[in-house]
Amino acid sequence: MNQRLRIVKSILWALVGVWTVVSVGRFAHGLGPSTGLSNAAPWGLWIAFDVLGGVALAAGGFVLAAVVYIFGIERYRPLVRPAILTAFLGYVAVAVGLVYDLGLPWHIWHPMIYPQDHSVLFEVAMCVMLYLTVLALEFAPVVLEHPLFSHPFFRGVHTLLKKSTIWLVIAGIILSTLHQSSLGSLFLIVPYRLDPLWYTPIIYILFFISAVGLGLATLIMESLASGWLFGHRMRKDLLSRLGLAASVVLGLYVLVRLADLARHGLLARAFDGSWQANLFLFEMGIGFVLPCILLAVPRLRTSLPGLATGSFLVIFGVVLNRFTVSILAFAKPPGVTYFPTWPELAVSLGVVSGATLIFIFFVEHLKVYSEDDHAHPGEPGYIKPWRPSFDPATLHGLTPEWLAGPRRYSLVAIAGASLAVGLLPRGMLTKPEPLRTPVARARTVEAMQVDHGRGKRVEFRLVGSDAGAPAGVKTVPVMLIDGDRNGRIVFFPHDEIAEKLGGDTACAECHHLNLPFDRNTACAACHCDMYEEADIFNHATHIDHLNGNAGCGRCHDDPSRVKSRATATACVQCHADMIAVEPFLDKSQKETMTGLAPGYMNAMHDLCVACHELKVKENPNEYPASFAQCDFCHGESENIDLQRLGPYVALDKDGANGAATPGRNGID
Amino acid sequence: MDLWLEWARGPLFRIAIAFLILGLVRHVAIAVFEIAWAVRRAGDKNIPYRKLARATLAWLVPAGKLGHRPLYGLTTLAFHVSIVIVPLFLGGHIALWARATDLAWPAIPNLLADVLTVIATAAAVLLVIERIAARGPQMLSRFSDYAFPLLIAVVFGSGFLAMHPALSPVAFRPALLVHALGANLILIFIPFSKLSHVILMPLTHLISEVAWHFPPHAGSEVGLALGKENEPV
Repeated sequence: MNQRLRIVKSILWALVGVWTVVSVGRFAHGLGPSTGLSNAAPWGLWIAFDVLGGVALAAGGFVLAAVVYIFGIERYRPLVRPAILTAFLGYVAVAVGLVYDLGLPWHIWHPMIYPQDHSVLFEVAMCVMLYLTVLALEFAPVVLEHPLFSHPFFRGVHTLLKKSTIWLVIAGIILSTLHQSSLGSLFLIVPYRLDPLWYTPIIYILFFISAVGLGLATLIMESLASGWLFGHRMRKDLLSRLGLAASVVLGLYVLVRLADLARHGLLARAFDGSWQANLFLFEMGIGFVLPCILLAVPRLRTSLPGLATGSFLVIFGVVLNRFTVSILAFAKPPGVTYFPTWPELAVSLGVVSGATLIFIFFVEHLKVYSEDDHAHPGEPGYIKPWRPSFDPATLHGLTPEWLAGPRRYSLVAIAGASLAVGLLPRGMLTKPEPLRTPVARARTVEAMQVDHGRGKRVEFRLVGSDAGAPAGVKTVPVMLIDGDRNGRIVFFPHDEIAEKLGGDTACAECHHLNLPFDRNTACAACHCDMYEEADIFNHATHIDHLNGNAGCGRCHDDPSRVKSRATATACVQCHADMIAVEPFLDKSQKETMTGLAPGYMNAMHDLCVACHELKVKENPNEYPASFAQCDFCHGESENIDLQRLGPYVALDKDGANGAATPGRNGID
Repeated sequence: MDLWLEWARGPLFRIAIAFLILGLVRHVAIAVFEIAWAVRRAGDKNIPYRKLARATLAWLVPAGKLGHRPLYGLTTLAFHVSIVIVPLFLGGHIALWARATDLAWPAIPNLLADVLTVIATAAAVLLVIERIAARGPQMLSRFSDYAFPLLIAVVFGSGFLAMHPALSPVAFRPALLVHALGANLILIFIPFSKLSHVILMPLTHLISEVAWHFPPHAGSEVGLALGKENEPV
């Protein structure tokens, strides 16, 4: 244990803390509040980075296994164990990341028993599952070497696994070849959505070659990183040979890709200056050509900075390629954009951090690296071990040494977790926020009225500005009530009904509240959400108008009760002039009104339906039962092409109804 | 101002309460492991658990234990009772919990809350004064021993002003902001400071007792020498 490792582990644990909280939010409330994904952009960071990137990054395992066990190049054997472990943890990370991305993650095992054998994704799913198993078996002997498993049974399993290594390696290579390429084949289904610079019928070959190149680069990077972290001797000779191999593979990739573009006549497209072309040049230049050259130059390849830069660029380039194919160059419907939310990023980072911590745990407790990997004092790469001393902040030194780690890491983990709790988007923490459906005001148009007689629905036909009403047919102004503008309209002959209810004196029957300096305020002014209650009370304004602190008692008049909306005096106590004296509303509603307006739909139904039912009850001769049934208002309306309507200019008699204000445009 | 208030009552409070809960759970978990480790290492395992439990309960009401300093004992008792009851059972606080989580529990009358708030504020100030006045505690005190009671006094004082805007020289929202920020600060500090005694207090006697058992019977021998036989050390 050294100070460097302690700091790295602390950072990883903090990320794991954040990840834990985000996971709870993700699985409690679904993908909606936690991600930037939508039906039109269903693939995001988790697929691009965790799945496509993760699988490619873990390719080092099968590449090195092939090198050592199949081609028999023994000098790479010291790298096999860390490579297999990295691959195993990489695939675990892929599986975990996929669980986050799936809408029904508990169905992840379904491909096994509900196979869709024409699907590329089925093949990928099966390969990843099987390869994860193979990797577990390949790494299991390292775990079974631990003294904990000294029982003869485990020894037997160990021997058996050791004997079957070659078969496991062969299976691993076959499975890897299959799904590394099939992840590319997935995109064969979208020739028109993927930009031509990336779409090609041989995309699976490109995916496979780049995965091999990336696997080699990951091996170098992982060796450099663990050497830095654990104080190992750097095996520069081995790593530079791997670098050369990576350079060859990258060169092959560049050749194949350019030849393929040339074959399809698309090379010119790469220079047309569009952002796709520039992205392509950037990806190829920085991610493939440059590292290919860097790793080909012997002087750079044998220096640690050269190796680190080269392999980092390969990793960057291939992961960028996976991002481009699945997100950036993947056409979305107009108006749809995708950008990952921070919880998505936290999950990706958290999965990687968790995998890294497990890697460190295995390295600390198992023989992943051989003893002679460790650099001795005086050698390059040697790190002074960290010695515990008394630390007043953590009481370290007073307490058992094995608790020093848990003390430190639990502290940073809960700090990360708490921060995440505070910053989580609202819908992830508590119940999801209801969707807001803003309401637009009713509009008034001229319409022909067709009365089918008693109890029948009165039909309205809109008068087009181009056609006009037939000669001799009377037209009337009619309000179109369609708060959410979804095309389903209730026709409301406002003036006719006002007349029936008693003319000018009847406004307040329905218009039960006036906003300040307004008369007969329109429904949508307060009932401004289609379904949800709307808050029409402005606390800050009231504080200002009631002289600050001195005014609190005006509404919160009982000091023994909690000051809240529910216990405040009703609006009508002060605003008698704003509220109609005898509205058609339930009287009790008026007395308890505290600034919450019901949703538009409920408000309309409460008012219209109640009145219709009353008419049926009071005067069944004139109003048959059908008058109070849904379809009296919500009939099949003809397909209305509102675009054809001209502006409504007819003058309202009293000019009071906002919906019929002179000159008001009939079309919003 | 409203945005700051929203921030202090929303994200900041969530961070603080999460840190408080997780931090205290962490303290307990670590303490349990450490005590188990200490007991395993102790030279003799005769730990008088029953006596310890009784002593811990007795210290819950320190007025009796602090018989030699009756004023201090009473102040600290009044202080602790008030600062535990008011934040948890004030009607306004419960209403906020109910709004966020649909959880609610019975509240104390607002008048009682007012009285306890005044007591808590006064007692906090008094505690600081008594600490300065008495030589022994003064020598043992650190900055935080003065800062925490004063911070608590500020939180309770501003809470009282927010509850009674008509009596308050400060506008409602600034008072509430000071109240919320101060309270969040306390919540975050609890697991970091000696305020963690809110959860570790029942364990402190046990810890010191176990520590006296590393050399077998060390504690009882010290007790014997001090003439306090059969009492937990």
